[in-house]
Amino acid sequence: MLIDNFGKLIVEIISIFILILFFDYTFGWLERKSIAKAQFRHGPTYVGKFGILQNLADIVKLLAKENIIPKNADKLIFSAVPPLLLALFIFLIYLLPFSNSLGIELSVGLLAVFVLLSFAPLLIFLAGAASGNKFSLIGAQRSVIMSLAYEVPLILSVAAVALYAGSFNIANIVNSQARIPFIVLMPIGFVVFFIAMLAELERPPFDLREADSELIAGWLVDVGAPYYAIALFVDYTRMFLGSLLISLLFLGGWLGPYLPGLVWLLIKAFAVAIVIVIIRATTVRMRLDRLMRFGWFWLLPLAVLNIILTFMLFVK
Amino acid sequence: MLTRINVGPIHPSTHGVLRLVVTLDGDTIVDVEPHIGFLHRGVEKLAENRMYMQSESYMEKLDYAAPMAYSDLYVAAVEEAMGIHIKERAKYVRVILLEFQRIASHLLWLSAFCNDLGQMFTMFTWAMKDRDLILNLLQDVTGSRMFYVNMRLGGVSIDLPQNFEEHANKLLDYLEKRFKEYERFLEKNPVFIERTKDVGILKREDAIALGVTGPVLRASGVNFDVRKDYPYYVYEKLHFIPQVQTKGDSFARYKVRMQEMKESIKLIRDALKLMPEGDALGMPIKLISPPVKEKEVIVRRELPRGEGMIFMVTDKQRPYRLAIRAPSFINLSALRYIARGARFADLFSILGSLDPVMADVDR
Repeated sequence: MLIDNFGKLIVEIISIFILILFFDYTFGWLERKSIAKAQFRHGPTYVGKFGILQNLADIVKLLAKENIIPKNADKLIFSAVPPLLLALFIFLIYLLPFSNSLGIELSVGLLAVFVLLSFAPLLIFLAGAASGNKFSLIGAQRSVIMSLAYEVPLILSVAAVALYAGSFNIANIVNSQARIPFIVLMPIGFVVFFIAMLAELERPPFDLREADSELIAGWLVDVGAPYYAIALFVDYTRMFLGSLLISLLFLGGWLGPYLPGLVWLLIKAFAVAIVIVIIRATTVRMRLDRLMRFGWFWLLPLAVLNIILTFMLFVK
Repeated sequence: MLTRINVGPIHPSTHGVLRLVVTLDGDTIVDVEPHIGFLHRGVEKLAENRMYMQSESYMEKLDYAAPMAYSDLYVAAVEEAMGIHIKERAKYVRVILLEFQRIASHLLWLSAFCNDLGQMFTMFTWAMKDRDLILNLLQDVTGSRMFYVNMRLGGVSIDLPQNFEEHANKLLDYLEKRFKEYERFLEKNPVFIERTKDVGILKREDAIALGVTGPVLRASGVNFDVRKDYPYYVYEKLHFIPQVQTKGDSFARYKVRMQEMKESIKLIRDALKLMPEGDALGMPIKLISPPVKEKEVIVRRELPRGEGMIFMVTDKQRPYRLAIRAPSFINLSALRYIARGARFADLFSILGSLDPVMADVDR
């Protein structure tokens, strides 16, 4: 049986990896272009048509440079963490179904994704603490403290989804949205999940870990150019994961008329990503203590309310 | 346990080459020690070796965000020393250009301030784009974008061009619309309010004791504006209200500057209406060798960053000694007192709200 499925497995692995690369690259370009649009700039125009090759040129440039590891850094941890983070996020994307035919169906998919996702702040903490720079250390500390603020509401809002669908299987969750997507059924849960996801994705207004204007680049202050390329890759892959999760759990995933499922999923993921970019263009960064207050005084009660409402209205 | 962090002089948001040694207790600032002097050029000494009007361009470089205000301050000192009468139209021309310069400077401040708050480059490019229109207008008048060197003894080097009034009015209407948009964009953003309100409070007594001036002082509730209290040129004929806020926090400083830009628009409109026809040209630089009347002069002007003062002991052809009171320098000294107890994340927004220009601080 394993031999029978082996060919299909290889094809799936390769095609999902191509999907990741496609999203990362297109989103990287789209983000630069749309941010530039919001700021009366042109964005990349020179390399390729509409600057579409700019990111490729940047990656080539970054990878061609020398990798410098600071003298004070813990060499092993410092050089292991960025690739590990990348591997973690790519692995997490492999745990998601992309349509009824593409991607794996895990009966505990939802649990697995969110359990593994909570490793990311820890890895970031390790990277920041190991680099031996005080700015990185502050970024690393913020990473851990931040996760206290948003992890609980995140899990609670996901719990409501699982409660309604009666399953931890993401494919089942998507298919139970066939009539009405969950964004309509539980708008409060969607808002909480979206905001917590913004924090998870390190997107403004919650980009405290790498706060450009205070910490220069947070946990990335001391990384060399090749690792910075990896960090960019991590950032975009994480974005893919985030927008996929939002569209799978709340926007009906691959369900949609006329077009094939995968195309619908990508359209939804890109739409979510663009909304996140627009938020980035307009808002000021939050402060750590305010984020904690926001997480515990607003997000958590709302998430609990959402669970109670879901339980009372929909679950018999 | 206390942590000491060195911030700058190469750091994205220290507004130039400022070095801060910050002592942190967790996330709370215990002490901030500004180290300055990276941009010291000895302008005061340089002025001693040059003829009076040769120093004007040096003075402009003191504050690259509002160069014209400084050249006006210096030229006013020389005029005072020589007892030169300023032409009536030239007074209006100067007021108009200076108020435009004030708006441009405040716009630059606004863009940098929003960057400090972590709204990377959206407000920055918006405000910079509008500032650019003002620079274009000033370029139409003076011929250069950044360092104008437009002030001459008794007047200006180039009078306003013929269609200036029309252009200026159009620009003012546009700016008025934009300022409303900015206010909506920023003040309706709860995160912006959260990051600026009750942050970096400078109390009224402290503000007076520290000697801060300009928008920083007015945000702390002291109604002091050189334009109103010691009027020069035609400011007493023009209608404007000095903007005062009582709170003394970052938001008050933001608000004062925002309102001041609107007041400047009113001022320019008034001045354009009242401006008489006639000659506004000052003396050419080469022809100056008038006798010096006063031995010591002191002039004060309201620069965009606060009260600028020049104390000059005169000699025959060049100043014997020149001392500049730079508003940025004194405003920056308040940082140490208001940043204590704030969060580390707020340090840069507090610093930004003081609007230091390091060239002005170091001189």
